[in-house]
Amino acid sequence: MPEQTDITGGASTAGGASTAPPAVRVQGLWKRFGDQVAVSGIDLELPAGKFIGLVGPNGAGKTTTLSMVTGLLRPDMGSIEVGGHDVWRDPVAVKARIGVLPEGLRLFERLSGRELLAYTGRLRGLPGVEVDKRTTQLLDVLDLAGAQHKLVVDYSTGMRKKIGLAAALLHNPEVLFLDEPFEGVDPVSAQTIRGVLERYTRSGATVVFSSHVMELVESLCDWVAVMAAGRIRARGTLAEVRGDAPSLQDAFLELVGAGARDTGQSLDWLGGAR
Amino acid sequence: MTVLDSPAGHAVPAAPRQGLVPVFVRLKLTLLRNGLRQSSGRRAVYITSLVVTLLFAAGQVAGLVALRGHAQAETLVVLLTAVVALGWAVMPLFFPSGDETLDPSRLVMLPLRPRPLIGALLVSSLIGIGPLFTLALALGSVIAVARGATAVVVAFVAVPVTLLVCVALARSVATANVRLLTSRKGRDLALLSGLVIAVGIQFVNFAAQRLGRAGGLSSLEPLADVVRWLPPASALGAVGSASEGAYGAAAGQLLLSVLALGALVGLWQRSLSKLMTSPDGSTIAAAGRDAGSERSGLFARFPEGRTGTVMERSLRYVARDPKTKATWVAALAIGLIVPVLNAVQGSGSVYLACFAAGMLGMQMYNQFGQDTSAFWMVALSISSSRDAYAELRARALALLLITLPYTVLVTAVTAAVLGDWAALPASMGLSLALLGAMLATGAVASALFPYSIPQEGAFKNVAPGQAGLAWISILGGMVASALLCAPVIGLTVWLHGADLRGWLWLLLPVGAVYGTFVGWLGVRLAATRAAARLPEILTAVSKG
Repeated sequence: MPEQTDITGGASTAGGASTAPPAVRVQGLWKRFGDQVAVSGIDLELPAGKFIGLVGPNGAGKTTTLSMVTGLLRPDMGSIEVGGHDVWRDPVAVKARIGVLPEGLRLFERLSGRELLAYTGRLRGLPGVEVDKRTTQLLDVLDLAGAQHKLVVDYSTGMRKKIGLAAALLHNPEVLFLDEPFEGVDPVSAQTIRGVLERYTRSGATVVFSSHVMELVESLCDWVAVMAAGRIRARGTLAEVRGDAPSLQDAFLELVGAGARDTGQSLDWLGGAR
Repeated sequence: MTVLDSPAGHAVPAAPRQGLVPVFVRLKLTLLRNGLRQSSGRRAVYITSLVVTLLFAAGQVAGLVALRGHAQAETLVVLLTAVVALGWAVMPLFFPSGDETLDPSRLVMLPLRPRPLIGALLVSSLIGIGPLFTLALALGSVIAVARGATAVVVAFVAVPVTLLVCVALARSVATANVRLLTSRKGRDLALLSGLVIAVGIQFVNFAAQRLGRAGGLSSLEPLADVVRWLPPASALGAVGSASEGAYGAAAGQLLLSVLALGALVGLWQRSLSKLMTSPDGSTIAAAGRDAGSERSGLFARFPEGRTGTVMERSLRYVARDPKTKATWVAALAIGLIVPVLNAVQGSGSVYLACFAAGMLGMQMYNQFGQDTSAFWMVALSISSSRDAYAELRARALALLLITLPYTVLVTAVTAAVLGDWAALPASMGLSLALLGAMLATGAVASALFPYSIPQEGAFKNVAPGQAGLAWISILGGMVASALLCAPVIGLTVWLHGADLRGWLWLLLPVGAVYGTFVGWLGVRLAATRAAARLPEILTAVSKG
C-alpha cells in the first residue's frame, strides 16, 4: 500500500521557488521482485529546468525507479507523469519528450558509433539530413569523432557512456534521465560529459541522474532526492538537504542511517602494537 | 631494437642455454597438473579425452598395421597425414587459449633470446594429447608403409619430422594470428567454429558417400600423388618411396619436409619476436574515415523512416553479429543442402525445397531476443501499435530481402537436379505460403515468447531457465505454420490426386497471395501484442 514517506527535507512542493509545472510527478510508486520490495511507495515531484541528483546507496532502488519512470519497467502500483503526460497511458507524448541512458543494458554494439546515432535518430523520426548534422556535432563535442567508425563493441566504458549520452540527446528531449552516467568513466570523459550536461540544463531542460558519488552530486546538482531501501528519505535543494551538515556526504550518511556506524572496538588491533 | 634483437652482450645475463628446455618442459607439466587440480570436472574431461584419444590412436595404429602390404596403404597414409596436418593448422584459430606456457605475452619480461626460446617452446609443445595422437598416426603409418632397411632408416627420421612439422605449423599459425585471436574479432571467429564443424561434417559425409560408390581409395590416387610431395605428408611419402627403391624421390621428399620445418620455425621465430617487441595494436585508435553520407550501396535505396532504418540495422547484424551470422549461415546451408543433396541422390522431391523457406522463416522467431538488452532502444521509440507494426514489418522485409531470392534459387536448383520443371511453380507457391506462415507465427512468437540469447559460447542459444520457452515457441510456431499452410497444402494434394496436374501452376499465385496475406495478418496481430508488452519483452531478453 502506498504510504507517506518520511520527508526530512524542506518543503513538500518543488524545492525551488519555481512555479513551473514539475518535470516529473511520481505518486505511490511500488515495485516488488518476488519477496523483495525494490520501491515501496514513492511520492516525488522533480522541478523542471534543474540539474537533479537521485542519490542513494547500492540497492536503494534508484535504477528500478528510473526504469519505471522512463517506461522500461512496469510498476506494480502508482502513477508517473512526465511533463504532465502519464507515462503508461500516453506513451506517444512521453517517449518523444525524454532521453534515457540506462545502466546495465547494452547498446546495438555491432554498429559503429556513427551508425548507432544515425539509427537512433531515424528511429526517433527525425529527418535523415538533420540526424547526420546533429550526429557530427555530438561526436565532435563528445570527443568521439576519431572513433566514429569503430564498432561500439570495441569502445571503452567511457566511450560507451558518451555515445549513449549522444543517443539520448539526439532528439533534443525536455527531460534527460541518466543512470550512473559517471560510473567507470575517466576524469577527462567525465569532464566532457559534465560540460555537455551543464550547457543542456542552461537551455531550460531538466537532467535527472542517479549516482552514489556525493562530491559529484554536490558540485553538479541544484536539487537532490535521497533514496534508501526503496523510499525517498529527503528531497529539496542542495542547501535544504544538506542542512547543518558540513557536506552532502555527511548529510547523506546521516539520512541513510550509516552515519553512526563507527568501527568502535571491533578493529582495535588494526594499527596497534605489532 | 629490443632485447630480442640486440646482439649477444654482457649486459643481459643469458639464461643457461642447455637449461631452458627442461625448464619449459617442467613448467608445462606443472601447469598441466595444476590445471587438473583446480576442478574435478576439468580432470574428468581431461582423463576422458586422454582415454578416448588413446583408444582411438591404438585403433588407428592397429588398422594401419593391418594395412601393411596393401597396395593402397601409402595413398591412405599420406592423405591421413595431410588431414591431420590441416587440423593442426586450423585448430589454434578455433581453440585459442590452449597453452599457457606458449603464450608469448607471459614471457615478454624474461631475458630470453628467440632461438633457444623457440627450441624450448617446440619441445614443450610436444607434450599433450594432440602430439601423442599424431605420433601414433606417424608410427602406424611407417609400419604400414616401410619395407626394407633403407625405408626403416628413413622412417626413423620421418616420424619425428612429421610430428615436429605439425606442431610447428600449429604454433606459427597461432603466433602469427595471436593479435587476431586475443581480440574481439578472434572471439567472434571462435563463435563460428560450431558452424564450420557442422557444415564440415556435411561435406565429409557427402565425400565419404561418394567415395564408397566410386570404388574406394583408388579414385583418390591423383590427389595422393600431389599430397605425397607436400610436407609433412612428404616425410611419410619418403618412407614409401624408399620402400619401392626410389631413393632419389625419397631424399627429395624428406628434404622437403625438413625444409618446411625450418621455414615454419623461422616464421614462428620472426612473428614471435615481432609480437614481443611491438606495441599492442588494440590500444591504437582506429583512424577515422571521412564522414560522408551514412548510406551507401544497397542501403541508400531503402526508404527513409523506420522501415529503412530497421532493415538496415537488421541486415548489418546478419553480417556483423557472430551469433546472428552463425544461425543465418547454418539456415542457408542446411536449407540448400537437404533438398539438393536428396535430389542428387535421386530420392528427393521438388517439394523438399520448401525446407529452405522453413529454415529461413525460423529467423523471424525471437526477433527481440536477437537484440539482447539493446531492445530498450527499440522499446523507447515504440509508443503505439503503429510503431510496433512498422518495426516488425521492417524486420520481416529485411528477412525477405535474403529469403525470397534464396527460396527461388533453391527451388530452381532442386527442380533442375531432378529435371522436374513441371512441379516448380507448385513448389515455389508452397514455399511462399510456408514463408508467410513462418513470418506470421515468428512475429507473434517474438511478441509473446521472447527469450534471451547468451552472447558467449558457440553452442548456447538460450539463457538458462528459458529453454522451455524457446522450444515451445519454435515447436508451437512450426505446428501453427503447418496448420496455416493447410489450405495450400490441401490444394496441392487435391490437384495431384484429382489428376489436374495441368493446373499445378495455379499454386504459385495462390501461394504468393496467401503467404503475403497470412504474413501481414501475423505481423499486425504481433504488433498490437508487442506494443502492449514492451517492458515484459525487455525483461525477458535482458537475461543473457
